[in-house]
Amino acid sequence: MPKLKFNGKELKVDLTEPEVKWIKDTLERDPAITELGMFDVMWSEHCSYKSSRPKLKLFEDAEKNYDYVLAGPGQDAGVIDIGDGYALAFRIESHNHPSAIEPYHGAATGIGGIIRDVLCMGVRPIALLDPLRFGTLKNNPHSQWLFKYVVKGIADYGNCTGIPTIGGEVEFDKSFEGNCLVNVACIGLGSVEDFKHAPSRAYYPGDYIILMGGSTGRDGIHGVTFASRTLTDMSEADRPAVQIGDPFTKKMIIEATLEAIKTGYVRGLKDLGGGGISCALSELTGDGGTGARIEMRKIFTREPGMNSYEIMLSESQERMAFIVKPEGLEKILEIFRKFEIAHAVIGRTDDSKVLKIYDGDNLVVNLPSIALSESPIIDREEKRPAILEDLISQKTPEPSSNLEEIIYKLIASENICSKEWIYRQYDHEVGVRSVVKCGTGDSGVLRIIGTNKFLASSVGTNSKHSFLDPYEGAKGGLVEVCGNVIANGASPKAMVNCCNFGNPEIPESFWYFANSIRGMADFCKELRIPVVGGNVSFYNEDEVSKTAIKPAPVIMIVGIIDGVENIITLPFKNVGNDVLIIGETENELGGSEYHSVIYDIEGGIPPKVDEKKIKARWDFIYELHEKKMIKANHDVNKGGFIISIAEMCFKNKLGANLDLSSYNDKNLRDDKLLFSESVGRFIIETDPKDFEEIMILAKKFKVIVKKLGVLIIKPEINVKGLKSQDFKLNIGKMKDLYDSTIPNLMDI
Amino acid sequence: MYQSEFEIEISLENKPAARDPVAETIKRDLLAKKGYDLISKVRSGQYLRIILKANDEKDAKEIVTSMCNDLRIFNPVTQNLNIINVKKL
Amino acid sequence: MTIKIAVVQFPGANCDLDAMHVLNNVIGVETSLVWHNHFKEAEFDGVILPGGFAFGDYLRAGIIAAHSPALDQARIMLKDGRPILGICNGFQILTEAEFLPGALLQNESLKFVCKWINIRVENNKTPFTHKMKNGDVLAIPVAHGEGRYFTDNLKELEENEQIVFKYSDENGKYTQNANPNGSMENIAGICNLERNCMGLMPHPERASEAILSPKSTTHGKLFFDSMLEFIKRR
Repeated sequence: MPKLKFNGKELKVDLTEPEVKWIKDTLERDPAITELGMFDVMWSEHCSYKSSRPKLKLFEDAEKNYDYVLAGPGQDAGVIDIGDGYALAFRIESHNHPSAIEPYHGAATGIGGIIRDVLCMGVRPIALLDPLRFGTLKNNPHSQWLFKYVVKGIADYGNCTGIPTIGGEVEFDKSFEGNCLVNVACIGLGSVEDFKHAPSRAYYPGDYIILMGGSTGRDGIHGVTFASRTLTDMSEADRPAVQIGDPFTKKMIIEATLEAIKTGYVRGLKDLGGGGISCALSELTGDGGTGARIEMRKIFTREPGMNSYEIMLSESQERMAFIVKPEGLEKILEIFRKFEIAHAVIGRTDDSKVLKIYDGDNLVVNLPSIALSESPIIDREEKRPAILEDLISQKTPEPSSNLEEIIYKLIASENICSKEWIYRQYDHEVGVRSVVKCGTGDSGVLRIIGTNKFLASSVGTNSKHSFLDPYEGAKGGLVEVCGNVIANGASPKAMVNCCNFGNPEIPESFWYFANSIRGMADFCKELRIPVVGGNVSFYNEDEVSKTAIKPAPVIMIVGIIDGVENIITLPFKNVGNDVLIIGETENELGGSEYHSVIYDIEGGIPPKVDEKKIKARWDFIYELHEKKMIKANHDVNKGGFIISIAEMCFKNKLGANLDLSSYNDKNLRDDKLLFSESVGRFIIETDPKDFEEIMILAKKFKVIVKKLGVLIIKPEINVKGLKSQDFKLNIGKMKDLYDSTIPNLMDI
Repeated sequence: MYQSEFEIEISLENKPAARDPVAETIKRDLLAKKGYDLISKVRSGQYLRIILKANDEKDAKEIVTSMCNDLRIFNPVTQNLNIINVKKL
Repeated sequence: MTIKIAVVQFPGANCDLDAMHVLNNVIGVETSLVWHNHFKEAEFDGVILPGGFAFGDYLRAGIIAAHSPALDQARIMLKDGRPILGICNGFQILTEAEFLPGALLQNESLKFVCKWINIRVENNKTPFTHKMKNGDVLAIPVAHGEGRYFTDNLKELEENEQIVFKYSDENGKYTQNANPNGSMENIAGICNLERNCMGLMPHPERASEAILSPKSTTHGKLFFDSMLEFIKRR
């Protein structure tokens, strides 16, 4: 961290020497203290993406290449036209570091932030999803504490704002112990017309700038610190380490904002996040090509005696900046008064292209509007970690217990067991849109009232696979999450990603990031899935032990189901129906739950993705959708296909007679066949009378489809046709193990 | 009459019949996990600190008590109002 | 004369639009969303206090909303026998406003619970339940953190037949498992002495369309159909 001299005192900033020089050269003077603070925040990794931008360029331009993409990366949320006059906006973000310190408020404010982003596109937020990662729970009170309070934070905030949490995902692994990952996603619904007239930036001089929402306090002020004391008068101990969210105010903001936008007078809208009001204003005017004059003392504060630095850089929650047409000012203020939301007119835009902030008569900020967004790029080095070679060649030990015992252990393991403990705390039905509820499908499915369309959305990735091969692992994550929406009858329409990695200054960590991006870019291009947004969270690393998290390129997919009759759910439905598997199983046990739960090993050959095969399987499934031949569908992931089959038996307490003799083209050992986590496979339930036609279609699409067995009324799975002996699984016992793991760990 | 400033601290606790699951959980966790067996009882509740102008301590208590009753600051069906402390500022 | 129903919108209500959707689009009765400060009883034949987190549930669920002028207006309707339905947060508001006896406390598990449960009809002589039969078991979801019903006068409630619904299993048995929040006597919903005001924790507006219901039932619709017919017959 370079040290600067400022008014004779020494200052520590996160900016590098060349960056400080650039600022001085551009401004042709030394920056004022608040200006310096603004650069320090806006040019931080978190806000400027300086390490990641070069790699993110690898993604195809979504707006250019896909006619249904209305907004791509760079906007507050990605937006797609879904037909029938409707559009969906969605975005995913991380709130990792605050949640590791204070899980309840960190997670809650994460939800608050993502809701605001979607709201800025002028649409009503209608769903939340939360992919989470923690250290293992067993015998780990710290992980249990983080897990419990992150879930509670998300529940309390989401429930209070009335936005259903319809899906999510959780991975437990030692590598996340010191650095839990809390990613949050939000989907908003509006009409294409709404979206076309949505407020965006400050393009017109003479408009009013209104700050509304929560008051401004000393929360979360980053950046510049003097060597011996902080810039603010409050000591470190008194300043809240994490901001406190207020979902009630947020709910009022949602209603007031939507009502204000309906008037047509709101031309620009930005939520206040990193860098507070100064950065929000700089984005509004910078992107809009205007300037602004702001009276800082009009900003309503929570505490007395705040100085200009504190006010301009505060990150207090629940605040929005509106750019309003002059003739509409009274109407907008009336709306804010109705909802009793604090607000103030703090200034006006002009054509100066300069952001001028006055503290009384003092000009404290005088920056060209675009200066803050001209952040530098840093080219980072990549280096494959040396340990991977040995890890990947780790062999699967010979199973020492019988297969049933292994399966009972797997179904009860933390990464596979039921997550009902989590989603029971989320109101996943408010809004009367939830059609496929948590627990009955691989994705959350919501109806779009006024149409016969349904949105299906899922989130996730597999960090254990990515750890061994980030390129294939990222692709595999995409295959899995797409597979989740396809299993419910949808076709994937667009994706956003949330990249969680270690320190980019360390070549091995950056190698993981770069290859994950390459994997996602290649796969999305080939399978024609537009990337409409993304978020990068670096520095998820333990300072002391210098261990990074396993790489987590979390994917979110939004898909559309056309017609209620095309919705498919997970549970098996009818005795006598066939159980088929789509896709072949390879010797790919690397990073599998089988390896980690039974042998505590992380290595092995990780699953690979063959885009052509995946495309063929998906096209084949779409054909089956047309013909309404799929009665139940579950994509195969953690634990292998036998786990997936068991999960499908639980709800209706059915069983199956399986004969695996014809399903082992690669001649794998029994355990490898059962527990391999090869990606892109599906277990489907079909009517026996459709079998012939299904096999003909499979041949036509060149997809491997095998009949594994039939459904029976007795709740047990009888497995024949393996190299070692046949065995039987008791569904009741499996379900008890599946249901009780997390409650036993958490509810004492 | 000459008015001074007073500070009153009150707590709102659940009546016994309404139970106190928050307190029960805390006590169970404390005893079960950390062996604080000297603790025999835990009560939870809401706490409010109110600063007001009144003639004297008695007057201050009366004002706060009627306010809590009139505005249902505590729920008379399920909660008891306790005045923990009164002091002149 | 067209029948008009109001759904009162408090700051922080979440299920107001849901109730509006069901009443307007599924039941087909003219229903208005009225901001709490603007609510005037003379314009309406019935009123619904919807679910959500009115005023953030600050201090206590429902207490701040209970002081709203909307409740003064509703008190007039209470006295002249017009139907008043409180759903979830609405039920909490009605107890704090003393339209209904008792109180709703934090769930026994201390966690928010969102799941489909069953309730058994105990009293079908209210404007909301006359299309049901005593003993009927209805499938309906709950979603709340403070749903544990408590009263210090259970005897009176029972003698006056003010208990309208109790949590039960699919067969109508009042088991502990069937009770999602630890409510006294598995009580899920109650009414006032005159029976025109009812509050319940479960959400009938989420159970009025087959597509939203795990077993494709529409038991929630019975509430609103009953309410409409009661108004017609008055």
